[in-house]
Amino acid sequence: MNAPRSAVIVGGNRTPFVKAGGAYAQASNLDLLTAALDGLAARFGLAGQQLDEVAGGAVLKHSADFNLTREAVLGSALAPTTPAVDLQQACGTGLETVLYLHNKISMGQAEVGIGAGVDSASDAPITVTDGLRRALLTANRAKTVPARLAAFSAIRPAQLIPVAPQVVEPRTGLSMGEHQAATTARWGITREAQDELALASHQHLAAAWSSGFFDDLVTAYLGISRDGLLRADTSMEKLAALKPVFGGPDGTMTAGNSTALTDGAAAVLLAEQGWAATHGLPALARIVDAQVAAVDHTSGDDLLLAPAHAVARLLARQRMSLGDFEFYELHEAFASTVLATLAAWESDTYCRDQLGLPGALGSIDRSKLNVNGSSLAAGHPFAATGGRIVASLAKQLHARGSGARGLVSICAAGGQGVVAILEAV
Amino acid sequence: MTTILEQLFYSAPGQVVAGKLGLPEPEVLRRGRVGPAGPVATATLAGSSLGTDTVAILGVDTIAALVDDGDELPAYPQRLGALVVDARGLQQLSELEQLRAVLRPAVKGLQPSGRIIILADDQVRGIEAHAVRQALDGINRTVGKELRHGATTNLVYVSADAEPNDLTSTLSFLLQGRSAFVDGQSWTVRSSAAAPPISERPLADKIVVVTGAARGIGAQIATVAARDGARVVCVDVPAGGESLAALTNQLGGTALQLDITAADAGERIAAHVASRYGEQARIHGMVHNAGITRDKLLVNTDAARWASVIEVNLAAQLRMNDALLDGRPGGLADDGRLVSIASTSGIAGNRGQANYAASKAGVVGLVRALAPELAGRGITVNAVAPGFIETEMTAKIPFVQREVFRRTNSLGQGGNPIDVAETIGYFLDPASAGVSGQVIRVCGQNLVGA
Amino acid sequence: MEVRELASMPSMGAQFAKAMVPSFHRGPARIPTHAVRVSRLTQDRTRLAGYDRVCGFTVRDQVAPTWLHVLTFPLHVALLSDPASSVRLAGVVHVSNRMRLHRPVTADEVLDVTVWVDNLRPHQRGALLDLVGEIRVGDELVWDGVSTYLAPGADVAGEPVAVPKPEFTVTEPIARWRLPADLGRQYRAVSGDPNPIHTHALAAKAFGFARPIIHGMWTHARLLAGFEARLPQTYGVEVSFTKPILLPGTIGAWWRPDGEGWAAAATTPDGAKPYLILRVAS
Repeated sequence: MNAPRSAVIVGGNRTPFVKAGGAYAQASNLDLLTAALDGLAARFGLAGQQLDEVAGGAVLKHSADFNLTREAVLGSALAPTTPAVDLQQACGTGLETVLYLHNKISMGQAEVGIGAGVDSASDAPITVTDGLRRALLTANRAKTVPARLAAFSAIRPAQLIPVAPQVVEPRTGLSMGEHQAATTARWGITREAQDELALASHQHLAAAWSSGFFDDLVTAYLGISRDGLLRADTSMEKLAALKPVFGGPDGTMTAGNSTALTDGAAAVLLAEQGWAATHGLPALARIVDAQVAAVDHTSGDDLLLAPAHAVARLLARQRMSLGDFEFYELHEAFASTVLATLAAWESDTYCRDQLGLPGALGSIDRSKLNVNGSSLAAGHPFAATGGRIVASLAKQLHARGSGARGLVSICAAGGQGVVAILEAV
Repeated sequence: MTTILEQLFYSAPGQVVAGKLGLPEPEVLRRGRVGPAGPVATATLAGSSLGTDTVAILGVDTIAALVDDGDELPAYPQRLGALVVDARGLQQLSELEQLRAVLRPAVKGLQPSGRIIILADDQVRGIEAHAVRQALDGINRTVGKELRHGATTNLVYVSADAEPNDLTSTLSFLLQGRSAFVDGQSWTVRSSAAAPPISERPLADKIVVVTGAARGIGAQIATVAARDGARVVCVDVPAGGESLAALTNQLGGTALQLDITAADAGERIAAHVASRYGEQARIHGMVHNAGITRDKLLVNTDAARWASVIEVNLAAQLRMNDALLDGRPGGLADDGRLVSIASTSGIAGNRGQANYAASKAGVVGLVRALAPELAGRGITVNAVAPGFIETEMTAKIPFVQREVFRRTNSLGQGGNPIDVAETIGYFLDPASAGVSGQVIRVCGQNLVGA
Repeated sequence: MEVRELASMPSMGAQFAKAMVPSFHRGPARIPTHAVRVSRLTQDRTRLAGYDRVCGFTVRDQVAPTWLHVLTFPLHVALLSDPASSVRLAGVVHVSNRMRLHRPVTADEVLDVTVWVDNLRPHQRGALLDLVGEIRVGDELVWDGVSTYLAPGADVAGEPVAVPKPEFTVTEPIARWRLPADLGRQYRAVSGDPNPIHTHALAAKAFGFARPIIHGMWTHARLLAGFEARLPQTYGVEVSFTKPILLPGTIGAWWRPDGEGWAAAATTPDGAKPYLILRVAS
């Protein structure tokens, strides 16, 4: 009988996040992910070490990057014999890669590994139209010249225009912002409440940077050593002056209370607790449990409220209540996503009808929410957000003391949500 | 704007010009853990065999030193690698003639990057003996200025109870290329209970922390410590993180991003060491290398310019030492090493550097005060005082002054960052247990300053 | 030696055109006796990232030594289009190159770049000459390099010097790289080397090549990028260009630890014949 195994979060590293088209405009997903791995290797002395696996992923990915994470490992200081896997669950990717490693370590399939994510909105793949793609594939398969010409003759001029990646939900044709605008209106989330949340995000992140909180969480990249989207000097007045970008002229969602397209990468080091101890690695926190959920936005559900469902199931399984946490990390896709999620948990009706609970799940102490800032201020390189949150939360919990618990909640495209409970070791 | 004068000097093709102006082509110095190619001559002047016994432990080829005692100057049959003169026991001025007699053939026969090493008594009794002791330093400094082709001379004062084991790391350092830019200096080695035998990898499995490690001299210090076997903790500000990570990964160490002026910097270093290397782990060597310059004439120096330099170069060290010496997990080990960076600017003063000179002279004071205090724990405290070292920091010195620094030393060239790093490596060596409270100038015997 | 300070890097267009006019000089070859320098040169991060991508390097703050060579190249052109030079870039062959990165250089550093011509010496087919470059940050020498060119037909008195053939052992390639027809254009865009023999079939034919040939310095950089994660922070590297590579084409490549450093080569796809032989010494 083997001793019980416990996977722990050792620590993390990320690049500073910067606005798409900014300082990392020329860097690819591969470059960014390699930088995040190199910084992590330096922090924990992993250079030349063979890890059991690195799980990584990106949401916006070139087809040539089918083995993105493995390629990043080969370009990094890690031993080239470290295997890697690519995973993807939209904005849930970063947290899912951590859970993947956590589960493997817990099951005894690995001792040490990295969960990582990267996205470069600057380096988004441009593809050809579906018609052109099919014509090219047909031409490629053609065995004779006339057949090849016939295939090409099927191409229409309009099909030659390249296609930027779709940020709309394929089945509704609505962008994420448009979906969220409907949710915002439905839940009656005010502009002021959204701006307040955005302001808090910037203030918290700025304070965290000033206090050195990110000294052991971030490594400079391409001359940038702080998150580029952070506006330490923003104010309610400045936020109030911004025009709505979603929900029409009367909309409440602005560039100030919605996340911007962002470039960045993040990585989290996980290890079996005993293994970490014998290899001189710290243990910050462990993952108590995790849950994925989905809503049916194709039938009118709120696209980004799946985490509300996932949390309800997770709490039920753990026999915990919403108030049992020292910290809450609710990913700020939009300020109104966080506020609608909180409102949903406070709603008797929603919790009864949608979550199958006897009544409201409850409310949280807002002073425990996103205490070191979140995506509105830091930015949101889709697959990197999970790693950012897990590493920061693990550090916060560890500082709070053994047994302290935190809740992570991340919404994702396709009406999905992934949530997890972390506990300080 | 580059001045015409600077163009003449600095374009490498301009070496032709430099030659025409009568400036000597700098010798390429022997560096690294490389001993002299020629034999080592040893001489005993007044009965002490410490020098020859120590050289014997080092396992180098030795020959008897030639003595100038007649009409014809005796010549060494082959180029001499080094002369080690044991002048301990010299009491009378008349006995100085014996030193002259062995130095004369050696100075003539020394090979490029050769070495003269004089051992003398640290403590003497009587007026004449004190005069003799000091006279040795005058000889040492003068011979340093007369030697050519990268050869150096240094004087080591040794306590009466010192054994060969106490001196091996010092003689090994001086004979090898590691001491290339240390010339005309003198310092003291005392007996110690804890000096282990010397080794090619003296820092094997020991933890060495280097601040300001991302580039320049700090990167060299970390590299030399890693070469000598250390597990290095490379510390620098977060802004230098990418370079810090690249260096750390090459050296197989761990990186710690930290502003050393933070109130809890020492605590965070200790916490990092305890968390990476275990609760029982202790730092063997703490190298306070991080430093800044904010040069202005004193009449133009405001409070902010003053404070930032004192804070980074001196006050931060004091705070970090307090934390690292209080016995906490991840703090400095007993038998550990504290090393600071002073500067010839601190020793001699330097126009436009009042704040910097204050901080660096302060380092000298710190070393001298702390060394006896920590002697009981086997901890040594020392500093190097670099002279003109070719780094980014020195590029801020105006040109003419720079050329003066570069040329006006006995070796006719600027030093390299590795020369500073090697001297620090000598302090870090566990075999250097008897070296404490010392400030060694790595300046090629700069003519400026005491 | 006189150092002529240039206000900025010479633009390659007109300068290069001059450099490409073949020399009709008769009599003993002459080389410039002055050095040219550009001080306070800032690096263009966008172009650097493009260079990294075309050559296969990871985009990092620390730059590849071959990038620093690229920064010196306009000064090669300036010297070989100078009236004082009877040797023109047109027709010279880059036969070997050595460079050393003395310490890591980051993209934010401001560089002083100096190049001069040295060591003109007779060769069986003309003359060899070295374009010597050095890059400093402030005072500190951070990079230096020597590009050796063969100037066919150039007249230099004396016994032709023998150029030792670099050691090459037939090795099974580790990699096979396909070089697209437009690779010369891609590399031109990031290196600024507008020599048309790399981009135009007619120009290539004029110099005796069936098709355009890739820049030797691309092959050099691509080969280093092949094992960049194993390279130390600072190193010296020497290459011999033994045979031009026609575009489009397929080449083999291998690298292996060799003593304290690395040995590597770009070869024919079967590994039998070298295009470029490289050695890294740390």
